[in-house]
Amino acid sequence: MKRVMVIAAVAVLGLAMAQGRTVHLLWSGAVTGPTSDVGGPYGAGIEDYCKHANEQRLIPNITLNCTVRDDQYQNPNTQRIFEEALDRAKPAMYLGYSTGAMLQLKPLINEVKMPTLPASAHIGLIDPPNNQYMFLPVSSYSEQVVALMEYINRTDKNARIALVVNPSPFGRAVVDHARRAAQRLGQTIVDVREVGGGNLDNTALLRALDAAGAAYIIHQNVAGPVSNILKDAQRLGLNRKIRQMGAVYTGGSDLIRLAGDAAEGFLWASSYFTLDENTPGINLQKQLAQRYNRSADTLNSTNYTAGMLAAAIAVETMRRAAQRFNGRVDNETVYQALIGMNGPNAFRPGFAVSTKAGIEIDFTRTEQTGAEGLRVLEARGGKFVPVTDPFTSALFRQVRNP
Amino acid sequence: MIDFVQNLISGIAVGCIYALAALGFVLVYKSSRVINFSNGQFIAIGAFLAYALAVWAKLPVLLAALLGMLLTAGLGFLVERVFLRKMVGQPIISVIMVTIGLASVLDGLMYLTPFGSGNFTFPQFLPQGGLNLGGISISYPQLLAIGFTALFLVLFGWFFQRSVLGVSMRAVADDQMASMSVGVSVQRVFALAWAVAGLTAAAAGIVVGTVSGLNQDGLIAIGLAVFPAVILGGLDSVPGAVVGGIIIGILQSFSTAYLDGVLSQAGLVGGGSQYVMPFVVLLVMLWFKPHGLFGTEEIERV
Repeated sequence: MKRVMVIAAVAVLGLAMAQGRTVHLLWSGAVTGPTSDVGGPYGAGIEDYCKHANEQRLIPNITLNCTVRDDQYQNPNTQRIFEEALDRAKPAMYLGYSTGAMLQLKPLINEVKMPTLPASAHIGLIDPPNNQYMFLPVSSYSEQVVALMEYINRTDKNARIALVVNPSPFGRAVVDHARRAAQRLGQTIVDVREVGGGNLDNTALLRALDAAGAAYIIHQNVAGPVSNILKDAQRLGLNRKIRQMGAVYTGGSDLIRLAGDAAEGFLWASSYFTLDENTPGINLQKQLAQRYNRSADTLNSTNYTAGMLAAAIAVETMRRAAQRFNGRVDNETVYQALIGMNGPNAFRPGFAVSTKAGIEIDFTRTEQTGAEGLRVLEARGGKFVPVTDPFTSALFRQVRNP
Repeated sequence: MIDFVQNLISGIAVGCIYALAALGFVLVYKSSRVINFSNGQFIAIGAFLAYALAVWAKLPVLLAALLGMLLTAGLGFLVERVFLRKMVGQPIISVIMVTIGLASVLDGLMYLTPFGSGNFTFPQFLPQGGLNLGGISISYPQLLAIGFTALFLVLFGWFFQRSVLGVSMRAVADDQMASMSVGVSVQRVFALAWAVAGLTAAAAGIVVGTVSGLNQDGLIAIGLAVFPAVILGGLDSVPGAVVGGIIIGILQSFSTAYLDGVLSQAGLVGGGSQYVMPFVVLLVMLWFKPHGLFGTEEIERV
């Protein structure tokens, strides 16, 4: 009997060792509630990439336990979910979501030294204080908006621009940087307006901006409110007079679906490749969407790509941490691996465009933005096509901390 | 001048959408003195039912809209039978709490469907663009909203003034015990009120979906955005809901056109006064005329 017990114990131990350890990765975001049109596909991207990572054993001897939680865009929920995760099975990395919740959690994240990749690209998240463990997967909203202003400046000097932003920290994040950039470029910000969801009619807004002489509107919002403004501009005939454009969450397939023809000509700043491009990341996205039975809407969503990119960075960082620290994967080793992801060790998953130096994703201790390259894309014939090569905004670096 | 008229017309169009959404709210209050906090959920459910019938069952959009409205009316009827009938005679606050719970339950159920997250659009059934008369533009979905509101206003006007059932509803709203003593079926009146509230909520949801696409949170938010309209018009007045909705719509349009620019110039980023003004009006109204413009002022003898 004793012999059987010993053999069984050895077998269980052997099996456990063969299977390796379990490492936890947490994401909490708006699967339901406000902005769930972004959060739903984003969470799906994370979930699918995690399944793929486990199936392909991307981190040798380690099983990834990806927890995807719905915080309903409620900061208290996010806080509770994060604290619960710290108490129960401390994740090696945290993939966050909303600007508000991330700003609220920033001191705690710093205190517990948790490497964090939020979906929000609010520049304030990587600005001091308490910014050491925050890393943006792609260029910030502010950089995207400044890049659009530089794009305008290529053909139209002294342009008159209106900013239409979401009434939240997410929307307001870009205003100061845009003002400073306009000053340097000789442009005029004629007005800054806040527009949220439920904007059933935008006639007054558009006529006011037209009266103020705005030739361009730059949006920092989600697709819903922007699509309503585009449709009203088309109805009023202002689409021929005012060119509209926006940062990463304004555009993509959602905008095309919601605004239809009215989206034609809309300019969109994004770091992500589109579904029409043949890159390793996008090809993987298509395979995974098919394998895990995702809908066409999810597959077409840039937010699905964004979720996959965040998960891919996390998985690759954990793989490197395991390799470098003898299988030890925790928040400390993951942080070291993340800030070492640069130079020859930069990461190229093929979800985002590269900079001129050929770098897709890189981080250092002080440079906390992953994909620094971005492109301007234009809605043509019902899809977004790039109209610029990838570039980084030199001006943004000047206006970020004047 | 054209700008002024355009802003006025746009405000009226948006106001009609608020009015549609407010009608169901007022009907339930008018008959049962219950403030229905699940009005927004009924708006969303009605719109999604119509969408599902149009896209999944491939029905013509107008037929899908009609069926969606009828199904939501059926849901209203069911909700009254299952949850609210047992509450007859209970304190009003208990009934209100039931509607808050109901809102949570309906929210949760919607989250379990594909409509829980994402944006959806009805298949195109109205011409694109809008009507343009002398430089004044109005979109076809907005015209639909005005048409629906006018239709419901006429129908309800007739119903409450001329039909036996409508007069019964007013009687029940006035005094449940007295109504019962003369043979009015209070339960039947309540069920009807909830069914009609479901119908108008669905109409509002379909119009909002046509204007700005379907998104669960956006649709539910419209249900709450009508509070200032019903307080302004009077909680128990059908014409009041319409007038209140239109006033709020115009107020929002004018604040965007004339106030936001000034606020922005003054350094207040974005203005955003269209979100605040309805609630300023609500506060002022509660202060000076708590029963609203057309609401019934109740006098209680001690």
